[in-house]
Amino acid sequence: MTLRTRLFALVGAVVALTDILVTATVASSARRAFAAVDDQRTAVLVTQVRREFVSEGEQVAQRLERVASSDEVVRLAADLGRSKTNAAAYVGAAAPLAASQGLDFLDLVSEQGTIISSAHAPARFGYRHPWLPPGATSMPESESVFLQRVEFPNDVALGVVATRSIPAGDGRILLVGGRRLDERFLKTLVLPAGTRVLLYRDVEPEITHRQLVDASGVVADVQPFEPLIARVRQTRQDARAQIAGSSDTESVAAVPLAGPDGAVRGVLLVASSGRELASLVNRIRWSGLLFGALGLVVGCGLSYIVAARVTRPVEELADAARAVAAGRWDVQVHADESSGEVGALARAFRTMTEQLADQRDRLVQAERVAAWRELARRLAHELKNPLFPLRITVDNLTRAKSLTPAEFDEVFEESVGTLTTGLANLNAVIGRFSDFARMPMPQIADLSPNDVAQRAVKLFHAQLASGERPPIHLTMDLDPSVGRIEADGEQLGRALTNLLVNAIDAMPQGGELTIRTRRANGGVRFEVSDTGQGLTEEERQRLFTPYYTTKQHGTGLGLAIVQSVVADHHGRIWVDSEPGRGTTFHIELNRT
Amino acid sequence: MLPFRFASPAIVNAFCVVVCVASLIATPTAARPQYGGTLRVSAHASIRSLDPGAAITDRSEAVLSARMRPLVFETLVEVDAAGGLRPVLAESWESDAAGARWRFRLRPGVTLHDGSPLEAWKIAAALRTTATAWTVSTDGEAVVVEPARPERDLAWALADPRHAIAVRRSAAELVGSGPFRIDRLESGRALLKAHDAYWAGRPFVDSVQVDFQRSPRVQLADFESGRADIVELQPSDVRRVTERGLRVAATRSIDLLVLVFESNRAEAASEPARRLFAGALDRSTIASVLLQGRAEPARSLLPSWLSGYSPELVASTVPRPTRTTVMALPAAQRTLTLRVDPADAVAHSIADRIAEDAREVGFTVTVQAPTGLAPRPDVRLVRAALASTSPDRSLLQLGAELGSRTLSAATPGPVLTAGASLDTVVRFERAVLGGFVVIPVVRMPELFGVGDAVDISEGEAVDPTGRWNFANLWIRSSTRARP
Repeated sequence: MTLRTRLFALVGAVVALTDILVTATVASSARRAFAAVDDQRTAVLVTQVRREFVSEGEQVAQRLERVASSDEVVRLAADLGRSKTNAAAYVGAAAPLAASQGLDFLDLVSEQGTIISSAHAPARFGYRHPWLPPGATSMPESESVFLQRVEFPNDVALGVVATRSIPAGDGRILLVGGRRLDERFLKTLVLPAGTRVLLYRDVEPEITHRQLVDASGVVADVQPFEPLIARVRQTRQDARAQIAGSSDTESVAAVPLAGPDGAVRGVLLVASSGRELASLVNRIRWSGLLFGALGLVVGCGLSYIVAARVTRPVEELADAARAVAAGRWDVQVHADESSGEVGALARAFRTMTEQLADQRDRLVQAERVAAWRELARRLAHELKNPLFPLRITVDNLTRAKSLTPAEFDEVFEESVGTLTTGLANLNAVIGRFSDFARMPMPQIADLSPNDVAQRAVKLFHAQLASGERPPIHLTMDLDPSVGRIEADGEQLGRALTNLLVNAIDAMPQGGELTIRTRRANGGVRFEVSDTGQGLTEEERQRLFTPYYTTKQHGTGLGLAIVQSVVADHHGRIWVDSEPGRGTTFHIELNRT
Repeated sequence: MLPFRFASPAIVNAFCVVVCVASLIATPTAARPQYGGTLRVSAHASIRSLDPGAAITDRSEAVLSARMRPLVFETLVEVDAAGGLRPVLAESWESDAAGARWRFRLRPGVTLHDGSPLEAWKIAAALRTTATAWTVSTDGEAVVVEPARPERDLAWALADPRHAIAVRRSAAELVGSGPFRIDRLESGRALLKAHDAYWAGRPFVDSVQVDFQRSPRVQLADFESGRADIVELQPSDVRRVTERGLRVAATRSIDLLVLVFESNRAEAASEPARRLFAGALDRSTIASVLLQGRAEPARSLLPSWLSGYSPELVASTVPRPTRTTVMALPAAQRTLTLRVDPADAVAHSIADRIAEDAREVGFTVTVQAPTGLAPRPDVRLVRAALASTSPDRSLLQLGAELGSRTLSAATPGPVLTAGASLDTVVRFERAVLGGFVVIPVVRMPELFGVGDAVDISEGEAVDPTGRWNFANLWIRSSTRARP
């Protein structure tokens, strides 16, 4: 992992972690603040709802009072008080009275508890009032308003009920009336946004959805509220709970509404929506994400810039080091203009490369001098051998002036022959040096390696076939599948010829000469083997040095020429040899 | 030859008393008749045609049509207030002993609303359209009717308003001979004009205006404010009307409210449940309280004044069941849906009370008053009108109103036909009521409010049979309230 990547990851992690911490802290604080505000708001709402509930009861009491004091009821009471048998005439009296005062239900009940007229259940006339306790002979009265389960023809409701007693002759008539406690009551409540009030009416044994209403009507999903309602019904005390709905989590305060006997007749549920809090937390979360992303972008940008300032000189130094390794000693490093450690490193690097270049130049110069010395030594050596007979011959000719003409002619003829031979040897030495100096650039052509090998071997057939020397057995092991290569056939042939000459020279006692071609490493390998005396380690080390030879009359240029040809073909050459075990030269060339 | 006959002596006696009392109430001051003015009548229903041959499926329209049709189209004979037959367009009638050939001698001098004389051939032609099973011919100034099989009481059948004489002038124009002629018949109102050449004398009022589709509340308001002279009254409004000094005219108890179990609850296995349900009914309270004493508990289909026999002869007395008894029934049999006509407010309140009575003993009853499609009920509360003719024909007509299959399903035994003997009628009714598939509840009159501007020379504005006696009443212009 590069420094730049590490720096990028570090900055990103720091920014993300900071952002998460800030977001979580703010969201948590917002939750706590909202919870406190929600508690206060719910408490206010509960107080308000209680007040409205009490007000509803007072209104019911007032309305029933107006009914009780109406002319119709006074006349009815007087009439029934005079004659207890004509109650049938008033069977329809309750409905208009209830309608006039906006009461949802109203019963005119005799002192014995028989319904004279019922506004909400007109067909119940003549029957005992359902609230008359079993065995009781008179209808109970209550001064206060209370909650009561009220049966209507088609449903059962929870009602806010008041009662009034009207004198009727010697007896009395009871008015029992009130209003439904349902969504209509809930609609009258003025609620702040995000809150709602639900009413559970305990009018059926089991909790069903029909019993739970809010201002818009029956609440379809009563199940989330069931545990809270059940708790309030059981404990008869206020309770609170967080209730998760399909789209919202509400904080719900439950207030029991008791009937005259203390039993819970209804439960008011003041629900405060958690949607605002959820929305705020959501906004905080999104803000955190947004700022986190922004921080990441900025951090990445900064880290890139910083990393670039730090790593660019290092990378430049690395590139320069690779260039130096590749042999480019003149590479320039600009990082030395930087300050600090990187600048010092760059300056040291530049000093190092300058010193290396200087030493290389010196080495080249020294090698060049050494080469010239070696060349001079070889030239001296090569020239001294032919020159010695020439100087002796010239001395003989000088001394022969004192001889007889015949003897002089004989010496002269012999000396001329010797001089000619010596000059020819000098010429040959000079020609070999000239050939090495004139090595031309290879002329690449498509050719068959086997053909090149066969042409090279053909030059030695006559020599090997003559009986002048111990026999050398030639073996050609040419792989027909080697294919063709791109090479200079003449230079390659010359290289193989030199190797064959060396091999033949290495076997003065005769032996086995083998030339092979093989497919190797995607190219072609030539192998020339002899069974001569082999090479020592030192000889192998110096084998390809120009003008080095193990032969008595060699120039030391043969293998140098071979190496030069192989190098010009971008191939490689190596030798396997052990003293007494023969020698094998390997040349490996690419196909192109 | 047989003269016309009375339903029964009991009917005659009862109606004489009613007529005498009504006459005393109706004409206390014997004011002098006045011609002119428009009699304004309000009705809850509406009618589309007064054509006697028109098929009417809506009961309320059929009832109103039966009230209005005699004002325009007359029958040969009609049932009078005492329950007997009286001549109208026929001056007299006679038949052979078997009732196979009836000859009706027509009243002379009768003119139609277009001024043309009403001749025998016109009556014969009209009867052929309303009674296709009969052979109707003329014999001089008489009309001869020969039923497909002998009918000894064919004259009573001709008293049915469906056999009123309507002379067809064109495809859309019918002409009658009644005291009023049709001037306009619109969707919300009918206007009838006095027939100046009416054979019994020109009516006192110039016209009768009948306003349709007026709800009971609106009718009462119109009546109390003087915007209507004659309105339909609910039993619960009677006390209020009488307290305000307005008159109430009542027919005989010609409407029978009866519970009819549907076929899914009519099988023999459900009879115990039906019996207990019948026993739960508090008919007396319904009649005395809910219907303000204007009705009478019904335990038989035919009233005694029509049948001549006691309800005990055909219906057994069922004691009120205890809750324990009812709860012993299978739950499915204890749960019923009771359907009632949503347009019939009185029937609806009676259904509510029936449901309440049943609930008291353990039944679970849901009252259903659908205005559209609704689930099949278990039992229906049906209002049926009793024809004030013979017991056999009344029972047949009742069966037609309850549903053609109802009585036959309830009575696997006897078969009732027109002209059947009283013994057959008794056995048939006993069979019908024996299985408690059909349970009579109450029998009640039709009630009308009669404004104080209305006066009458003879009888009441609405006679005990329900016929509108508008030809004999007049408007006291001095007392009419200005709308």
